[in-house]
Amino acid sequence: MKQAVRSLGWAVGILWIILLLFTVTAVYSAFQIRPSFGEPSVATSGSTLTASLPIILYNGGFYDISKFNITTRVMDYRGATITRSSTLVPYVLAGANATITHNLSLAIEQAATSNLFHLLFSDSELEVEAAVRLTYARVFPFEISLNLSMPWGAPFANLTLGNISITPLNLTHARVRIPLSFENHSFLALEGTIQLEIVDYTNHIVGRGSTGFNAPPDSRFETDVEILVSGGHNDIREAHLYFQTPFFSYGPLVMSLV
Amino acid sequence: MRKMLPRVAKAIVKGLLYFFLFYALPMFLVSQVSGFAPRLSTEYEQTVVLFAAVVIFFAVATELTSGTIYQHALNIGKALILVIFFVVALNGGIMKLDLDIIEGQRISIVADLRVYLMMLITIDLLGLAKSVMQMVNFLSEKTERQIPQPLPHENP
Repeated sequence: MKQAVRSLGWAVGILWIILLLFTVTAVYSAFQIRPSFGEPSVATSGSTLTASLPIILYNGGFYDISKFNITTRVMDYRGATITRSSTLVPYVLAGANATITHNLSLAIEQAATSNLFHLLFSDSELEVEAAVRLTYARVFPFEISLNLSMPWGAPFANLTLGNISITPLNLTHARVRIPLSFENHSFLALEGTIQLEIVDYTNHIVGRGSTGFNAPPDSRFETDVEILVSGGHNDIREAHLYFQTPFFSYGPLVMSLV
Repeated sequence: MRKMLPRVAKAIVKGLLYFFLFYALPMFLVSQVSGFAPRLSTEYEQTVVLFAAVVIFFAVATELTSGTIYQHALNIGKALILVIFFVVALNGGIMKLDLDIIEGQRISIVADLRVYLMMLITIDLLGLAKSVMQMVNFLSEKTERQIPQPLPHENP
């Protein structure tokens, strides 16, 4: 019995020492992890906007990092998901550097056609949920999550159709001049065309016109669109606007002309 | 009284040593992170104090009662209390911490320490098994001592 008690005592003592050493080295190693961030960049490819964030992770500790996963979700103010992205690094070995590029892609065309079209015309606050999950020393799973909000500048902010002026040409036609303006609050250099359809009270299209635009970031665009209208010009009710840019197409946006 | 004095002296020395190891040193380490996470250090100060109190109390008590059945009973009690303490201190193995980095920006850290908790409990339970075996051994030796020794007799 005494032998068994003695060996159990030794086993317990040795195990406590091993666990203590493991704890101390794991805590020390955790403080030796040095994450750093590179310069974020934004690139467009077709109608897809990609934001990239380079992350350099130096694991200066004694233990490996495994299943390193970064997940980001961007939502509008109503909680609707705009984009979600995930980057997985299976292993960052002890003493090694890992360069990770976390990409966040936004298909603008898809966003414009879905219920996120308000992002084209209204400035807003976007909610960003970022989470980093990792397993440290193969036994400690960690999750670090962060919620933050960032301002969103709409490409067609404050879109306005001003007071229309009508010049009758003859009994059946008139020339309508519509002042159109918007501000590009986004970081995209916008170029494209806006097509206008004039609709009367019987829902018939009585005239069509279009205008090209070139709006660099943080600029205001103003123009007058001239449209030849047929029929009774007093019956004009609304304009349907169609937007065409290299990034997206959207329409119709219905705006009252009364 | 003569028997008690060395025990008391040993208990005081052990108590002071444990005080340094389980209270002064951890409190120093906790105070080092107080600038980084003040709320965390306040929470962990309480945990360290409680852990140190349990360990020092049992170290002194077992030393004072050494050579008696109470020593082993106290060791068993210590092992059981430490199991409960580990589970409570590590919040069942899932630790959550919220840090306000900038006003309105909150970082939430969740650590899954269930495997670590299992290691702690396993070693503690081995200690419990050792104490139980020591107690059984102590009782059997005591019983052996109480059995009257057969007197030597002459062969006819």
